[in-house]
Amino acid sequence: MINSEELAAELKVNDVSTDVSGVKWLSTGSLNLRELVPVLNRTGARFVTITATELPMNQGFCLEYLWDLNGQLLGFPFYPAGNTMPSIYDLCEAADWIEREIHEEYSIDFTGRVYEPLLLRDNDHTGVNLHEVAK
Amino acid sequence: MSYKLPMGPFHPGLEEPYKLEMICEGETICDAKLHIGFNFRGIEHLAETRNYVQLIALMERVCGICSFIHTLTLCQALEKLTGLELPPRALYIRVIMAELERLHSHVLWAGIAAKLMGFKTLFMASFAYREKVMDMLQAISGNRVNYSMNRIGGVNRDIDDPATLRKMVDLLEGEIARELVPVFTSSYTAKSRCAGIGILTRDKAQSCGVVGPTARASGIPQDLRRAAPYAAYAEMEFDVPVETSGDVRARLLVRAYEILQSCRILRQAIAKLPAGEFACKEAKLAFVTGTAVSRVEAPRGEVVYSVSWKENSRTPSRVHVRTPTYVNMPAIRWMVQGARVADAPLIQASIDPCYSCTDR
Repeated sequence: MINSEELAAELKVNDVSTDVSGVKWLSTGSLNLRELVPVLNRTGARFVTITATELPMNQGFCLEYLWDLNGQLLGFPFYPAGNTMPSIYDLCEAADWIEREIHEEYSIDFTGRVYEPLLLRDNDHTGVNLHEVAK
Repeated sequence: MSYKLPMGPFHPGLEEPYKLEMICEGETICDAKLHIGFNFRGIEHLAETRNYVQLIALMERVCGICSFIHTLTLCQALEKLTGLELPPRALYIRVIMAELERLHSHVLWAGIAAKLMGFKTLFMASFAYREKVMDMLQAISGNRVNYSMNRIGGVNRDIDDPATLRKMVDLLEGEIARELVPVFTSSYTAKSRCAGIGILTRDKAQSCGVVGPTARASGIPQDLRRAAPYAAYAEMEFDVPVETSGDVRARLLVRAYEILQSCRILRQAIAKLPAGEFACKEAKLAFVTGTAVSRVEAPRGEVVYSVSWKENSRTPSRVHVRTPTYVNMPAIRWMVQGARVADAPLIQASIDPCYSCTDR
């Protein structure tokens, strides 16, 4: 198995920062999500989760993809344009439920997949975690 | 001709509501679909309206069995955002509580598995052991389910009498090692009922991203206490039991051996319990702007909290919780394929699912 520095070099990512909790964040400026996943799969990294955050003042969303590489958490922040993001479900089976959950909670559309209800029921409105819903 | 057979959302074989929709031919399950969300409470959304004191009380209620683990994971994330360094005694008390909770969870699961195996005597015995673990948890925390032990910067209560706790652990370990573990590892009933059913191959376990005993029973030797130690686990000696057959029996064996390892960790933590304070003395907490991710090895596997906070804010801007059952449950689809309908309750129970955790 390779380590996070070797992975960053393979992905040609120079901008790697470590946060207060020890997560290594790899800048995703030049990265394509669907090209990234096969590389992570090949290295033996384990998909952990996606954290969706609604940015203030209608700036959209941030999707933080977290992977575990030999006990080291790697983070990849993506900012979906127009509330759509390519699905990685076909490349990474473990992402199925979290993509469905984020779709239901934030109305983000993961393109290239079909949805079945996860936490909500048929015909329920999506976007239950959006700030405008709370108001 | 195939037919659909629903199990749940409310079914005698399930401890909590969820639905397993099986597509069967005769007595054989060809495929299955899972439906969750019957316990969806919107806790992540609710968390954004709570201050840090209320937040701990709220997240303790994500799960009734791993309530300590949830507050531990949350507090670890909040401690990173506040830059607090914990006194060593607090870290050791957290290890003791976490291992008692693992014991409690595994023994409870052993009882439920025994019931589903048709082994009612073992079910009763397991619940008697569980009472003893709960007595220990109560002796430390004053509570039997939601312990209210964690706070940002340490724990709320000290362990005043480690010698008595050590005696209780020794007594319980002796009983479990003598009576419970041998039934799971060598009894004919357990072997014949569990071996060769509900197989999850290593490859499938990896692609599903399963965690905890479910992963370790499929040959993946992953345990956060070893891979990314937290609290005082770096100072503990223990083995990580791994089985390779990936069937229900392997999951049974992993948990049985983990019970013994938990007792081993408990003995060390009690013996080495450092003197001193059990919580930081800071009167006011100052959060920095940022996100902290914290992970803990719960009885069912990895729990992940991602907490975002803005400086001077009273409430978090985001709390995301990823529980172990959330990643283990989709694997049930692959475990039941080719199995007999009568084995479905035991197979789905073999991941020790927690639906309220999953739905949040």
